[in-house]
Formats: sequence, structure tokens, C-alpha cells
Amino acid sequence: MEQLIIFVILIGLGYTAGTIAERRHYRSIEDRELRFLNLPAVTVKNVLSRDDEIFKAWLVSGNVVISIDYFKRVLAGLRNIFGGEVRAYETLIDRARREAVLRMKESAHGANIILNLRIETSAIGQSANRRKSIGSIEAIAYGTAVTLKKTE
Amino acid sequence: MKYTAKALKGNVNVSRTSPIKEFFILLSGVLGIVILVYVALGFAVDFVVSRLPLEIEQNLGSLYSGIYVNTEKTGAGIRLQKILDELVEKNPLINSRQQEEPEYKVHLVPHSQANAIALPGGNIVVFSALIKEVDSENALAFVLAHELGHFANKDHLRGLGRRLVLLSISTALLGADSSVSNLIMNSLVNVEMKFSRRQETMADIWALDLLNRRYGHVSGASEFFENMSKKEKRGRILYYFAIHPYPEDRINALEDRIQKKGYLEKEKIPLDKVFEDLPVKPAGSGK
Repeated sequence: MEQLIIFVILIGLGYTAGTIAERRHYRSIEDRELRFLNLPAVTVKNVLSRDDEIFKAWLVSGNVVISIDYFKRVLAGLRNIFGGEVRAYETLIDRARREAVLRMKESAHGANIILNLRIETSAIGQSANRRKSIGSIEAIAYGTAVTLKKTE
Repeated sequence: MKYTAKALKGNVNVSRTSPIKEFFILLSGVLGIVILVYVALGFAVDFVVSRLPLEIEQNLGSLYSGIYVNTEKTGAGIRLQKILDELVEKNPLINSRQQEEPEYKVHLVPHSQANAIALPGGNIVVFSALIKEVDSENALAFVLAHELGHFANKDHLRGLGRRLVLLSISTALLGADSSVSNLIMNSLVNVEMKFSRRQETMADIWALDLLNRRYGHVSGASEFFENMSKKEKRGRILYYFAIHPYPEDRINALEDRIQKKGYLEKEKIPLDKVFEDLPVKPAGSGK
């Protein structure tokens, strides 16, 4: 009986805290994405017509580790039984990816564009190596920041 | 190439569905399947239990009661065995020779819990604290008869079987230590207890009939429960989660049966001197 009570408390706590944290994070992500709207990050390697237009090029990266709450973990566990889209993990991946790109952009001071953008994710944390459980994920975004020569 | 800064509207990567709704749909699905399998396997257990050869049962019994069987018989233990033997003689199953009966043995074990248990192979274990709760031989005989009732209804095997079924389902489905399997376990344990309580009531009724056959009256039948209910501090609500029915409910059920059958109340036989001052703590360390 105690176990059941603890379980329900953990679920409730996980849901409340997880939802609040997620909402807050999305608000922050959207704000910052607007701020960095003028710094595009693209996957192409070369958009420039001539190499001598480049003033400076350097590697930039940003990474983040995000964990899901207990409620979503249980929800995903239940989903594992029946199969289908694991919607519980969607926001986790989405937030990690966007946050990593934002951090990368934040580190690219003075760049006009970020070329050759790559994003990678990996499961980390204590439960990462255990079967059937995802604890937290890391997303790393990296690319080549480029400052162009002033024309005119 | 001209770059135009434009913010994206919406998010295609995140589904706009309610996770709570999804949670309850999935949870009810899992619980539904588990209950279905549990009920089906429960029937399988009932089927096997009524056909289990005595030999296998006794093998099982030696596995379970090995630690009790080897305890040395004291004066009180011998007296208790005599009360049991006299009851067994009046056992309707023996007299009708409908089925093979194991040799019933009672083991008196020092323990602070007022309880008695029926183990496979005809072994009854009585905890010494229980004897402190009764004042007459009749009441003690009723407790033994109650355990004989469990044997008659094969509850001792059923209980083992159902618990085994329960455990195997959740571990097969979700692995030994998953939070989901813990939840299922906990919600089903309460269902299991309702089965148990029905079995307890049935064993009570069976014991009452046997007590009447042995002594010619039923005095002392509810004595143990009366003494327990006086001591009982827990309320009726908490008893919902207990294996045994509320003592007062058991007394009422017994009284109904006494009235229906017209059983008599006569002088009780006082408890033998050997039952005085039994130790309630195990002699050695551990169990």
C-alpha cells in the first residue's frame, strides 16, 4: 500500500513539476529564437560564391542535457507494451535539440552565418545503459561560424 | 542568395495531445490484460489444486514447513496435537473417504503474533501468542478446525498458486523491478485479499460445523475473535486492506450460522495447565 501511495505521489509530482519546467523552457526557447533570427544556421557546407569573401571561420558548439519527469517515464514505459508513437519523449527531444542550437548560436559572437550545422543526441545518465529506460538525453549542435568581409 | 529572417509558427515535432488521457488509456489497457490473464490462470490454479496428488502436496509441504517440522515437541505441543487428532477423527472428509487425506500435524512455534497458518502437506503452525488469546480448549479447537477448513477447501494451495500467478504475470510482462509492475502488483493485492477474506469466512463456517460434531456444542467458537476485537485498535476502514475479515464481522457470521443450524451452547472445557506461560519470542536468533 505504501508503495502505491509513493508511486502516485511521484507521478503527480513528476507531472506538475515536469509540465511547469517544460512550459517555462519553451517560453525561453521561443524568446531566444526570435532574438537570434538574424543569425541563420544552415546545413549546407558552402553558400558563398567566392572564398575570399570570408573574413573569419571557426567551430562553434552548444550542448545541453535534459531529463524527462517520472510521469513521462512511466507513460513511455506503458507505451513500450503496446507500441506506437512515444509522444512522451517528443518534447524532450525537441527541447534538447532547439536548446543546443540556441547555445551554439549564443557562442558564435560576431558571426554572420553558421554553416554545416550538425546535431547529435545520446542517452546519458545512470539509467542510460539499462534496458528499456531513457533517463536523460544530451543534444550537441555544432557548426562552422563564418564572419564575412564587409563589401562595398 | 538573400536570407530573409522569419520565425516559424507552431511546432510539428510535438504532438498536441493530452498526456494524462494517454496515460489512463494505456494504464487501463494493461490492467485489463493483467486481470484477464489473472482470472484465467486463477481458474487454472483451481483446476490443478483439486487434482493435485497428495504426494506432490507433501513434497511441497516439506519445502515450506521444514523449519517448523523439526522443532521439538513440548508438553503443550503434544496436548495441541491431541486436540487436533480428536478433531480430525470427526472430519467429514475422512469419514466419507471421498479423498486422500494427509496426516495432520500441528507445530507450536514461539512467536509474538497471534496467528495460525495452514501449510501444504497437512501442517498447521500455531504461533504461541495465539494461545494467550484463548481461555478454553474449545476456542483452541476452533482455531485448529478453522485451519482444517482451509485444508478441506484447499485454500493453502490456492493461496500459493494465485500468488505465484500474480508474480509471474507482472515479471513476465515488465521485468522484476519496474515501477509499472509495482503499481499493478499493489492494485491486485487488494483483489487477492478479497478472495482470502471469503476463504476465511468459509473456513470459519466449516470449523463451526466440525466443532459441533466434536463437542456436541459450539461454545468457545467466537471466543478468540471476541478477545481480539477487544484488543483491536485499528478501525474498520483499515481492515479493508487486511487479509482477515474484521473480527466483529466474523463473530456475526458465526452467530448467524449458529442460529440457522440451531447449535447449542454448553460448558467450555478450561485450557490445560501446559498452555500457561508459553514463550512468545523465538529461542534462537532469527525466525
